[in-house]
Amino acid sequence: MGVLALVGTRKGLFLLRARDDRRWRTEGPLLEGWGVYHAIVDERDGTFYVAANHTTYGPTVHRSTDGGKTWRRSRQIGLPEESGLILNATWHIEPGRPEEPQRLYLGGDPGVLFRSDDGGESWEPNLAILQHPTRDRWFPGAGGLTCHSIQLDPRDVERMYVGITSAGTFRSDDGGETWLPRNKNVAGDFLPDPHAEVGHCPHKLLLHPASPDRLWQQNHCGVYRSDDRGDSWLRLDGNGLPTGFGFPLMLDPNDPDSAFVIPEKGMEYHYSAEGRLAVYRTRDAGETWESMSNGLPQQAWAAVLREASAFDADSLYFGTQGGSFFALADGDTWVESVRYLPPILSVEVTSWSA
Amino acid sequence: MVRVVVPSVLATQAEGRARFDIEAETVMDALRALPVSDLLFNERGELRQHLNVYVDGTDVRDSGGLACPLAGAHEVRVVAMVSGG
Repeated sequence: MGVLALVGTRKGLFLLRARDDRRWRTEGPLLEGWGVYHAIVDERDGTFYVAANHTTYGPTVHRSTDGGKTWRRSRQIGLPEESGLILNATWHIEPGRPEEPQRLYLGGDPGVLFRSDDGGESWEPNLAILQHPTRDRWFPGAGGLTCHSIQLDPRDVERMYVGITSAGTFRSDDGGETWLPRNKNVAGDFLPDPHAEVGHCPHKLLLHPASPDRLWQQNHCGVYRSDDRGDSWLRLDGNGLPTGFGFPLMLDPNDPDSAFVIPEKGMEYHYSAEGRLAVYRTRDAGETWESMSNGLPQQAWAAVLREASAFDADSLYFGTQGGSFFALADGDTWVESVRYLPPILSVEVTSWSA
Repeated sequence: MVRVVVPSVLATQAEGRARFDIEAETVMDALRALPVSDLLFNERGELRQHLNVYVDGTDVRDSGGLACPLAGAHEVRVVAMVSGG
């Protein structure tokens, strides 16, 4: 078994295959010319799903059942006329639970969620998110209103979470019929009321698969953890992180107390904090953080986007806007495994066998 | 019968075909008949912003828009605007 990384770039999808954690083989670009905001393998049946956007041809989803050799495009994805909104981009695809074989979720801009019940052929908007009573208090920032995180509680088919930039974190306890804003104690330093109910800017939201009441959040204004399904949040970036700002977030599937972030100089800048590209790790649920920079460049002003990191039980992976793909080898050394790719927008990993 | 020509990214989405011979009364009808029409129009049926459409070399914006009758026309060419990096 080896690792297959699906690396979405501004110019298409690349497949990177590793036989060990230092030697990778590159295939691509597939879906040439499309901006691949997110690409993922559905572990239920091996289908590749890609959220692809094009400056001229708009937002799409593509899928492949033969490892990327051939592709099918979903039927046109759009928003109902009465909403007054147009779909600007597809952002994130989340396959459904094992007991929901044809179901997938899709997050998009402007702050919208879709569901497919036919394996990605067609997508229906979630009206409760589209018509959310707080929507008039969501303020699109420079990145738009992006529904980028969709997390499913593996124990409860009714419970799920979404993270939407400039809106916040929302939880549904009834299969998506209603959504509760879950932003208590999250700071929105750019808001007139920093502790408003909505208007917050999560950059990435992850549920811990082995401890599903625990959520982690890299926000525009800090790193947070929740131990009560998002009912309240604890800010964690005071101890050892150079900044609370950043986009990617990684977890250790075997340890709910571990998390990894890549701090950036905040707000208007969006590049490595202190001119030094580093991943920061906590092993004590955010009490303390330590730098993991072994193998990373001494000086760098890199940007790692919200979808551009991934993790599995053995390693961590991320890609930069400069087109470098890094994998963690032997648990403590980063290896720049592939370089000179187009700007990397997304990374997901799965296992593969030759 | 009019010949519709599309750029390479669209051809890739149409099983490699860049040319289509179509019976249509208007430019809109011809574009709607393409297997990639969802990539040309948004969900409101509006032509995407960064597309140009030429009928025998004339921009449809200068000749009545997409409702323009095709009578006598030979070629409809879809061209992505020069943009981006």
